[in-house]
Amino acid sequence: MIRLERATKLVRMKGISKPIIDDVSFVIPRGKSVGLLGRNGAGKSTLLQIIAGTLELDKGRVIRQGKISWPLGFAGSFQGNLSGEQNVRFVARIYGVDTEELVAYVADFAELGAFYKAPVRTYSSGMKARLAFGVSMGVKFDYYLVDEITAVGDTNFKRKSQQVFKERLKGSDVIMVSHSSSTLRDYCESGIVLEDGKLTYYENLEDAIVVHERNMTRQ
Amino acid sequence: MSYFLTHIRVVAALVVRETSTRFGSKPGGYIWALLDPAAHIAFLSLIFMAIARTPALGHSFPLFFATGYIGFQFYQAAVGYLNTAVTSNRALLSYPNVAPFDTILARYILQLGTTIVVGFCVFSVIGLSLRSPLTIQWHFIIEAAFAASLLALGSAFANNILFQKFPLYEKFYGIVTRPLFLVSGIFFLPDALPHPARDIVMLNPLVHVVMLFRKGFYPEYRAIGYDAGYLYGFALSLLLGGMFLFTSSRKVLRGR
Repeated sequence: MIRLERATKLVRMKGISKPIIDDVSFVIPRGKSVGLLGRNGAGKSTLLQIIAGTLELDKGRVIRQGKISWPLGFAGSFQGNLSGEQNVRFVARIYGVDTEELVAYVADFAELGAFYKAPVRTYSSGMKARLAFGVSMGVKFDYYLVDEITAVGDTNFKRKSQQVFKERLKGSDVIMVSHSSSTLRDYCESGIVLEDGKLTYYENLEDAIVVHERNMTRQ
Repeated sequence: MSYFLTHIRVVAALVVRETSTRFGSKPGGYIWALLDPAAHIAFLSLIFMAIARTPALGHSFPLFFATGYIGFQFYQAAVGYLNTAVTSNRALLSYPNVAPFDTILARYILQLGTTIVVGFCVFSVIGLSLRSPLTIQWHFIIEAAFAASLLALGSAFANNILFQKFPLYEKFYGIVTRPLFLVSGIFFLPDALPHPARDIVMLNPLVHVVMLFRKGFYPEYRAIGYDAGYLYGFALSLLLGGMFLFTSSRKVLRGR
């Protein structure tokens, strides 16, 4: 369970501060995979970072039960001058999982070949995304926070990662940000719409998508 | 308890990560962390042996410089490395269980270990080349390294925030601290300076660190003017101020 209690987060740009979430109390229940919808710049990625704990709230607090992943994104959270393998070792160490096992798992999964031992800054964005996806699937979390990452690689790789991810989601939940409704339908049952600093939970993802699309046309 | 264990794991992982990249792009890798200061001492000893006949203390030029230089390095090498600890690990801070504090702690541990190894190597070589064996008083040496560490950590906590908030300050800091090497009593004994100059030089807490460190190697050195109260007062104020700034600026640290 992840609970926001009277949470407020402001972002400041050029002297104007705008609330991403404004005095929100909210529970994301365990056992439901949710899609997070909202217009561009509404603060979906920021909200994921708040849930992960890499960003602080301005007011209120987050209560987390269960093991929560870092926000999995396209770019990955990799140190550019370390090799892919060294980055994987780092993740294994900080999450206390078996280093060699994870290194082998990601080597097999991400299909980077010789690049696995080259610095990450030499990677293409597709390679980075494959590495990011591989390393996150290699560590078991109760919640996976996913920020637009699922559709990477060629058809073959996509199929493989979908398979692995679905396998993972049998025991874990996902909180997913995506602009593609079909991706959300693939993985999520419920939806949250972020609009004007408020979060609204919809038991059924389809309802959330309808509301989101209405918001978008309303401008 | 598990919170504590996580941080130990994270710091250990960061130490490994820093060791593998510190000199990663150069052939020889980490060996340079040891060779660089040793070469510096050898070079300076040569130059000064050519200029003057006897060192200000004892009979050995290399020993005189090494005691000043290594004592100073416990501060200087650490602070140079620690000042950029958070920015150099920015990408890794997107893992929620990596705290900005961990990056500083990891670099501190690595640099302290490195300076200790450098010290052992340099003083072993010098000790073997001397006619009479070195008389070492460990408690002075350890205390000097400890005081230097407090100063380095205090500056680093503050600078990790201030460098990001005020880029101009970083320039200013660079200019102001560059001559520290010359005025910290590495080449001369502050005790021997004439009256007004000595009082001014003594305002630099690193002078006291170097004096204390030298006392560990020269039993006959009296270190006139060494002021433990001033040194620790300065170091602890800096550390408290730096930690206050560091803990109250978490937004700056995570880079938003």
